[in-house]
Amino acid sequence: MIRKELVAASAEPLILSLLDRGESYGYAIIQEVKARSGGKLQWTDGMLYPVLHRMEHRGLIKSRWGESETGRKRKYYSLKKGGKTAMAKHHEQWSLVHSVLAGLRKEQYV
Amino acid sequence: MFDLEQAIADWRRQMTAAGIKSPVPLEELESHLREEFEQQVKSGLSAQQAFETATQEIGQARALKSEFEKNDASIGARFVELTGIAWGVIAGVFSLWSLLLLFTCEEASWFGRMLGLVAIALTVSSWRYGYRVLPIIRHQHVRTLIGFACCAASIVWMGTFVKLILPSLIVLPTKVDASPTRLMVSFLWAWTVAAILASAAHGLKKVASRQDHPAVS
Repeated sequence: MIRKELVAASAEPLILSLLDRGESYGYAIIQEVKARSGGKLQWTDGMLYPVLHRMEHRGLIKSRWGESETGRKRKYYSLKKGGKTAMAKHHEQWSLVHSVLAGLRKEQYV
Repeated sequence: MFDLEQAIADWRRQMTAAGIKSPVPLEELESHLREEFEQQVKSGLSAQQAFETATQEIGQARALKSEFEKNDASIGARFVELTGIAWGVIAGVFSLWSLLLLFTCEEASWFGRMLGLVAIALTVSSWRYGYRVLPIIRHQHVRTLIGFACCAASIVWMGTFVKLILPSLIVLPTKVDASPTRLMVSFLWAWTVAAILASAAHGLKKVASRQDHPAVS
């Protein structure tokens, strides 16, 4: 299981990247993250919503109420222009961290 | 026999009791809870077990509330909110003091006293209901900036009034008879303008937190 500090830090870039693929809603975002991480990246479900609201207040994403296939109301989120910029920055920074780690690991085994 | 609607109503009551009172988080969390419940039932759990699992997955009400509170905890937003409230209190105290003077001063006219009462009514209304006419600004930084500008405008306005307008009201020798009423009413209305500006800073946050009513009911 991944440490909670890392889970928290990765929440924003993951949400932005998922929403970059199209509009989505809280439950689907959580399921997608669970599936893609093989269940290793787990959020307490309810904790996603304060994060989504915070990102919305910061102008990164926007929301609208709609209906599910069964007619139940559902809040959909989508990316705003500011969110695309933030996502690009996140990718740049996480790639940098990843390349530094990968480089150090490589040196270790050389 | 397990009653899902009753269980959800009880769960909502627990969330409200813990402090999650705004409709949006609750609606959104309930929507999530129902999806998770259905998923758990599909996976083979009984309705009772599925509901218990779904509520555990959502998390504890207090922990959720504390996470939601962080959304409004930026230093800038807090500063603007406190400045707006402090300035509103100062404006309120000075307004009431001016009104008291207006009503105890024998030379004050009834028209002046009525104007004073209207000013107080406006101050109270702006703080109580003013948010209803304010625009919804969802971007927190923009809201904070506008709130800050309103507080600054309120302070600058009172500075201008005291430095430039008030002296001209005091030194009008030909208006000596009219000056007590005129002076106090002017002072009261100056504070009313300041209070209304300060209430905008407070109201913008209030309207933003209430705006999230679901479009689909």
